[in-house]
Amino acid sequence: MKRVNRLGRKIWKNRAIYGLMLPGLVWLVIFAYGPMSGLLLAFKTYSAKGGIWGSPWCGLENFRYVFRDAAFFRSVFTTLKINIGRLLIQFPAPILLALLLNECVLKRYKKLAQTIFTFPHFLSWVIVASLVTNTLSMDGLINNLLAALGLEKVNFLGSSRLFVPILYITENWKSAGWSAIIYLAALSGIDVDQYEAAKLDGANRWQTMLHVTLPNLKPTIIVMLVLSIGNLMTGGFDQIFNLSNPAVEEVSEILDMYIYRVTFGSVPDFGFSMAISLFRSLVNCMFLIVADKGSKKLGGSGLFG
Amino acid sequence: MKKITFVDVLVFVIIGCLILLIVVPFLNAIAISFATQREYLNNLLMLAPKEPTLDNYRNLLGDQRIITGFKTSALIVFLGVPLNLFLTLSLAFGTSRACFPGKKLILGAILFTMLFNGGILPLYMQMRELKLTNTIWSVILASGVNVFYFVIARNFFCSIPQSLTESAQLDGAGEWRILFSIILPLAKPIVATVALFCIVDRWNEWYNALIFIRDNSIIPLQVVLRSIVMESNISSNTSSMEAAARNFDMGIKMAAVIVTTLPIMCVFPFLQKHFTKGIMVGAIKA
Repeated sequence: MKRVNRLGRKIWKNRAIYGLMLPGLVWLVIFAYGPMSGLLLAFKTYSAKGGIWGSPWCGLENFRYVFRDAAFFRSVFTTLKINIGRLLIQFPAPILLALLLNECVLKRYKKLAQTIFTFPHFLSWVIVASLVTNTLSMDGLINNLLAALGLEKVNFLGSSRLFVPILYITENWKSAGWSAIIYLAALSGIDVDQYEAAKLDGANRWQTMLHVTLPNLKPTIIVMLVLSIGNLMTGGFDQIFNLSNPAVEEVSEILDMYIYRVTFGSVPDFGFSMAISLFRSLVNCMFLIVADKGSKKLGGSGLFG
Repeated sequence: MKKITFVDVLVFVIIGCLILLIVVPFLNAIAISFATQREYLNNLLMLAPKEPTLDNYRNLLGDQRIITGFKTSALIVFLGVPLNLFLTLSLAFGTSRACFPGKKLILGAILFTMLFNGGILPLYMQMRELKLTNTIWSVILASGVNVFYFVIARNFFCSIPQSLTESAQLDGAGEWRILFSIILPLAKPIVATVALFCIVDRWNEWYNALIFIRDNSIIPLQVVLRSIVMESNISSNTSSMEAAARNFDMGIKMAAVIVTTLPIMCVFPFLQKHFTKGIMVGAIKA
């Protein structure tokens, strides 16, 4: 009784702080936690009349359908394939870019370059995809250039062989400059003494980069790598949604695209698509927790700063 | 004066090539947007039209969709950004205050939304339940508290010495007063950062709108751009007559891209000052 009283008094004393948080918390309840009740449909047979609460339960039946669906497994496989490729091919680009900018002796030129490199990050994928389509189309700049050089034109956007590499290239075109900022920040924190010492030891530029600059970047690189594990199941939806077309469907249908197709396609089955969404959310959550724990273990800030 | 070496020149040239790689697609788009159909067909590597014309822009603006799209997007920014700021900053300030019962629980509940969400369908059903679909409020309200900006703001608020707020409290100032007249003026750089990033986010909004809004008179610019671009993609395999018409489309298409990009270009110089603070966003939002 006494404890309840004390708690009550504490709450009352801090009522102004609760008042401060109220608008944000109300929003969270309505628009973040409220919709989660929709996930119940994963265990129900959806009927428009019954809605979320009135539809009859069906146990794990929806999941049974999901795990029997070949398209589902194909989309999971495609997602992992594309994202592991991103780790190998796309991930190093910002690091190389930062190292390159770091070697630039003309400070104003470096600044100009950095400004230009960061700009595309702030454009939506709708815009970037339009630019990409324009540049790579059959009568676009690149193909005209190929033709002028006497080479054969390439159907870049309709080729399922080229689609995934184009994803890596366009993602770097859009965001490598932005991602390089974190490495550049780490570089600017390197002690000048280390460079002086390297100079005294007679190290050339290449050796200095390899033995002074790169080791200093290592902690940042590792933390970023671990954090990107959190995106293994998601990531790239905006990009792929805007760049894909029927010709490349077999290589472009990642899990999120598949969920979009079954949810808003011609014969939507809400229970079925909720079951996939729930699966995706759980796996994604797991990846994020692993990434967070890993990053903290390595001395990084983790997902939550 | 240091001697300029071969490596310096090499670095200079590589960076130059990368700059071209970024800039040329934009230049090409701008050139096409000002070009005539005939020039587009003749001048294959077009970076600057010889006889610039405003025809494409005239045709584009003749299309009612682009005007309503621009208006809708502007409205989403003007209503959405203050809402984002208000909800995110007040919550960040509240949770940065001294210990109060339930603090851990509330923090956990906020951060959990970053780890786990139901996806677009449950949100759509919620919007339908609240009778918000087909109104721009569905798009505005779909993003309220932004957890990334919440973390940035909270980190800053936590670093403000408690003595400052305590003395204000002794003077009888309420929490809202403290937030608006003491904390926010101190946190100007953070508020500016969050505001600018919110503006860009809101302007670039397309997916929620694509799902929530069917009414053509209130779709935002990005969705309009998408449909303009898709239109000409559909008529891809065609005869020469139609090809000519499609190429003309190309000018309008690129004009639409430029019109949609322009506001971001205007905000960008201001954004740049806040990059270092935005690093964290970049790190976790990737």
